[in-house]
Amino acid sequence: MSMLRIRKNNLHRAPGRRQKNKERTREAILQAALDLFGKKGFARATTKEIARRAGVAEGTIFNYFRTKDDIALHFFRREVAHVIASFERDARLRRAPIEEKLFAVIQKQLEYLTPYRGFLGEILFQALRPASSLHPLSLESQRLNLDYLEFIRRIFETSPETSRASMLGALAPQVFLIYYLGVLLFWLHDDSPGQEATLAFLDRSLKIGLSVLRGAAHAA
Amino acid sequence: MPPEGTGGGWKRLLRMGKMGAGVAGSYFGYLAQMAFLDTEARQTRGREGRARVARKLRQELQALRGPVMKIGQALAMQSHALPEELIAELTQLQMRAPGMHPSLMRAQFKSALGRFPEKLFSEFEPEPFAAASLGQVHRAVTRAGHKVAVKIQYPGIREAVRHDLRLLKTALGPALLSGHFPKAALKEMEARLLEETDYVREAANMALLRQALAGLDFVRVPKSHQECSTDKVLTMSFLEGLHLDDWLARKPTREEKDRLGARLMEMFYHQLFQAKAVHADPHWGNYLFDADGGIGLVDFGCVKRLDPAYVRRFSPICLYTGRADSQQYRGLIEALFRGEGLKPSRKTLEVMSGFSHLYRRLYPPFPKDEHRPVDFSDPSLLNDFAEHCTKLLKTKGLLPELVFVSRAEVGLYNTLHRLGAKVRTSEIVRRYLARA
Repeated sequence: MSMLRIRKNNLHRAPGRRQKNKERTREAILQAALDLFGKKGFARATTKEIARRAGVAEGTIFNYFRTKDDIALHFFRREVAHVIASFERDARLRRAPIEEKLFAVIQKQLEYLTPYRGFLGEILFQALRPASSLHPLSLESQRLNLDYLEFIRRIFETSPETSRASMLGALAPQVFLIYYLGVLLFWLHDDSPGQEATLAFLDRSLKIGLSVLRGAAHAA
Repeated sequence: MPPEGTGGGWKRLLRMGKMGAGVAGSYFGYLAQMAFLDTEARQTRGREGRARVARKLRQELQALRGPVMKIGQALAMQSHALPEELIAELTQLQMRAPGMHPSLMRAQFKSALGRFPEKLFSEFEPEPFAAASLGQVHRAVTRAGHKVAVKIQYPGIREAVRHDLRLLKTALGPALLSGHFPKAALKEMEARLLEETDYVREAANMALLRQALAGLDFVRVPKSHQECSTDKVLTMSFLEGLHLDDWLARKPTREEKDRLGARLMEMFYHQLFQAKAVHADPHWGNYLFDADGGIGLVDFGCVKRLDPAYVRRFSPICLYTGRADSQQYRGLIEALFRGEGLKPSRKTLEVMSGFSHLYRRLYPPFPKDEHRPVDFSDPSLLNDFAEHCTKLLKTKGLLPELVFVSRAEVGLYNTLHRLGAKVRTSEIVRRYLARA
């Protein structure tokens, strides 16, 4: 009797609220995971500990994330979403020269990742395991990258400096992604105060890279 | 193939510069262009041709965006292999750091102070209103409501300077050992260059000069805001005023120009004899002139502190009424060098004695001539002085103090010339000599 009533009550609850609860739980798990990664490192933090810290049953975690790597993947998904949203919100930036736009994209990414710098290197290292969903060739990673690549492609296409089609044009977003990974690696090893060296590197290499792109465009 | 010796040191340096390196790039990579100059200079005939090439090179180097380049001046000090005209050009060389777009500027600010500028100031302009030698300057208003200027340094410059100084030391190796390039000059240069990348040092220089020049009511020195300043960001009170050209465009009267000239001269000698700290790079871009003829100072990257004993040994050389070739005069110069544990070479003595004639024109030494104003609009005065300075800078075993004070002097006379001011120079100097 009582069980039927409970089920009926569940049906009356608005689907929106359920979604929101799911979101809240997902975020709680992510936050707990990030806290633990910071304290114990990525490899040593266990899903059991994450569940405890998030205040959910261990079984519940698996409803949201199959593996620990998936938690990291979700984190990167949010990073990309955040950066795209932040960029689109900034009217001045959308009118800026492409050099500044590309700088700002990477800068926002690094900004977002700064609190997690300590264990990020470890995550990237783990990503090299072939079975990992973080692996660049995994389906999940590729899905994540597509959003990013699409975003970068839009930037190239809507910028007067680079909108004209060029030989390198179609590859430009991929090249940029690889470049970003290079900058990320540089940044992770950068122990200059405030990671100032990365800023210098980013500015100079973007200038050089863009002039190469433009040179290729002229040559084509 | 160029002959070995100091010339060879150059070539090696340029080649290493070309290989470039360092995260923020290498200054000397830009100098690599000079490799072309040598062949061109040799092929070009006559002084005019060489002067043209030198000017062209300076323009090209100016157009290159790169960090500040005072090394050109120091290198020019000792490069006998280079044509004179090039040296004259190089001593004027001053490059600027690349500009920063708002995204880079904000990132650099945050990297230095931990928060974005909008979070620290009540108002902050994202576009700079002025360029600085190593960065750019933004207008802002503090939480407390003070109008300030915020100078932000381009990232990675100190590392680029350090890297290039290492290269320089390596390339000059043999010249340093043989004494062709004085170690003292290299050390001095190193200290000054690194000093310029350190805005904490600059804030200290600014405070020093602010106190030292407090006695001059026509001088305004900004106050630094420590809470919003680091070694890469300097926040200071905003000074109103116009740069020299804009001030002149308002068509000031003769009296105003002469009064400003006298004040500039007073400020220089006050620094030399009283404060014993010299604003060692007085490019007229560092002055702001206001409607009352007040002088605002900006840019305290290079402030040379002088040893009081040095100043004491230096003062008898000023307003010297005897003969320049006299034993007594030579004795004074030798005493100056001896105080630093050095002995002036014959060539140095010769050149410095030669200065004495120039100084007579600039500072009539006899009391009867004292009230006659010196007309700085006379171009020959400035040219002769600059030429003589160049000669001095080429001699070996030069005192670093002399280098900086000479540079400051040339800067002063340059500004006075642009003003076309008539100044009672000796009166001013005598007043300061009496107090010293």
